[in-house]
Amino acid sequence: MALELSLSTEARAQRDDVYDTVIIGGGPAGLSAALYAARAKLRTVVLDMNPRAGALAATSLIVNYPGVPEELSGAELLERFRRQAESFGAEIVQAQVLSTDLASDPKLVFASTGVYKARTVIIASGALGRKASIPGEAEFLGKGVSYCAPCDAAFFQDKEVAVIGNSEAMPDELAVIARFARTIYLIPRGRLTEEQAARVAEFANVRLMESARPVRIVGERTVTGVELDVGGETERLPVSGVFVYLKGNRPMTSFVDASVKLNEDGCIEVDPRDHSTSQPGVYAVGDVVCSEARQAVIAAAQGALAGLAVDKYVRQAKRIRQQWN
Amino acid sequence: MLISEKDRAVIREMFEELENPVRLVVFTQGSLKLPGQPDCMYCEQTVKLTQELAELSDKVSVEVVNFHTEKEKVEEYQIARIPAIAVVGTKDYGVRYYGIPAGYEFSTLLEDIIDVSKGKTDLSEETLEQLARIDTPVHIQVFVTPTCPYCPSAVRFAHKLAIESDYVQADMVEAQEFPELAQRYGVFGVPRTVINEETHMEGAMPERYAMLYVLKAAGKLNDEEAKLLSAVAR
Repeated sequence: MALELSLSTEARAQRDDVYDTVIIGGGPAGLSAALYAARAKLRTVVLDMNPRAGALAATSLIVNYPGVPEELSGAELLERFRRQAESFGAEIVQAQVLSTDLASDPKLVFASTGVYKARTVIIASGALGRKASIPGEAEFLGKGVSYCAPCDAAFFQDKEVAVIGNSEAMPDELAVIARFARTIYLIPRGRLTEEQAARVAEFANVRLMESARPVRIVGERTVTGVELDVGGETERLPVSGVFVYLKGNRPMTSFVDASVKLNEDGCIEVDPRDHSTSQPGVYAVGDVVCSEARQAVIAAAQGALAGLAVDKYVRQAKRIRQQWN
Repeated sequence: MLISEKDRAVIREMFEELENPVRLVVFTQGSLKLPGQPDCMYCEQTVKLTQELAELSDKVSVEVVNFHTEKEKVEEYQIARIPAIAVVGTKDYGVRYYGIPAGYEFSTLLEDIIDVSKGKTDLSEETLEQLARIDTPVHIQVFVTPTCPYCPSAVRFAHKLAIESDYVQADMVEAQEFPELAQRYGVFGVPRTVINEETHMEGAMPERYAMLYVLKAAGKLNDEEAKLLSAVAR
């Protein structure tokens, strides 16, 4: 076996560095915040889980973004946001944020690429999150239910597993599981995109079950199966693992520590003037704050407010610095 | 060569931070496999990996121990299976690796070597105060796979506690190399941290929350911490 040695030199280099602002999320809100923060000469990094994920990236056509009359896909518009933020010096890193310690000084953001230290944090993680919603899902987490194929697929060598959902991450995760499991039952819940279908077809051990709906995950000490509804009939699929890649519409806050107040709907509470949260130096923008209108332009505007507010906070100034010239 | 030229250069630079000498005590099988012994898949590579690391700094050395014949050493370091590494500084802090520290865990080993060399870590004041309350042995086992990006932070946390407290011994356990152990502790997802056999923690947690599980296992939770833990565990 070739020995893989992952030396996270990127994270190493940051060990003793403190960013002025770490922005969690690379959608229109996060990237606008990055643009304003970087333009104010703040040391800025955006941690983006997946440039293809998110509400705007998944939008096929945008015609109402002010100042952009030409027809663009959400992904193309997002690419422009990215280029503009980078042009002012913001770093954009593909990384998944796992947890945070926002009450400490400096604030700590634990990501798949390492630990980031920050004076301020802007949460712009969107609202495609979900809570464990399938009966049995929470109960069997770590006992057969998993969200991370690279971490856990090896535990299912030559076993039968189910993969539920069709998020952007699913095809890459499926590729990992396919190296270990004997049979994978793919229950996408909704239709696969053409691109996804083509990738899924590459794996001989995947059985696609587009018409099935998961009812519950069952087991004793560990998972033993999934109950499915197939055209009104209940069917039991014997599997020992269930990997879940579903998208939801809940604010993504699983990594946010308890120092940041959420409202009863699980949205981050902010002061609408500058989008500051209950924790000093922490801001939240975009769909994660659950504005009534979920529009890219509104997310972007909130990002701009937070970018300016962060500049004010870092300088310990009384007023924001207007970026007019 | 297991470590690439490029990585060697980075590691040499990292190792400039080293203060006191660090000895990697590697437990392996002899060149002859005796009948009835289970095969040690990564023993040879674990020895090679540590030897290559030792080439990168005068302050890092390797001591290879035969697990089957050198019983005194096995006893001294309380080694239960192979391959194993004890990362030893001016004293034995109780930092252990069971299974090869490859993949994401390679960085964990490098950072541990630096901390062991200094005999101190970057744990917060609050954590250190809580840790100082512990006065009975605590054994932490962190189950990982080398391809798990969430795992190093769980292992590092456990190893930092071992470095800062004489009561803590902390093991990284590579679950695929020790399937029986993984099965015994019901590991189907990683990282999974088992503290004193009884207390389990799933996933990687921020230091201040992870510490609550350690205090719980040691029977040292105060009321306020117990309340916070029940909120975190929910």
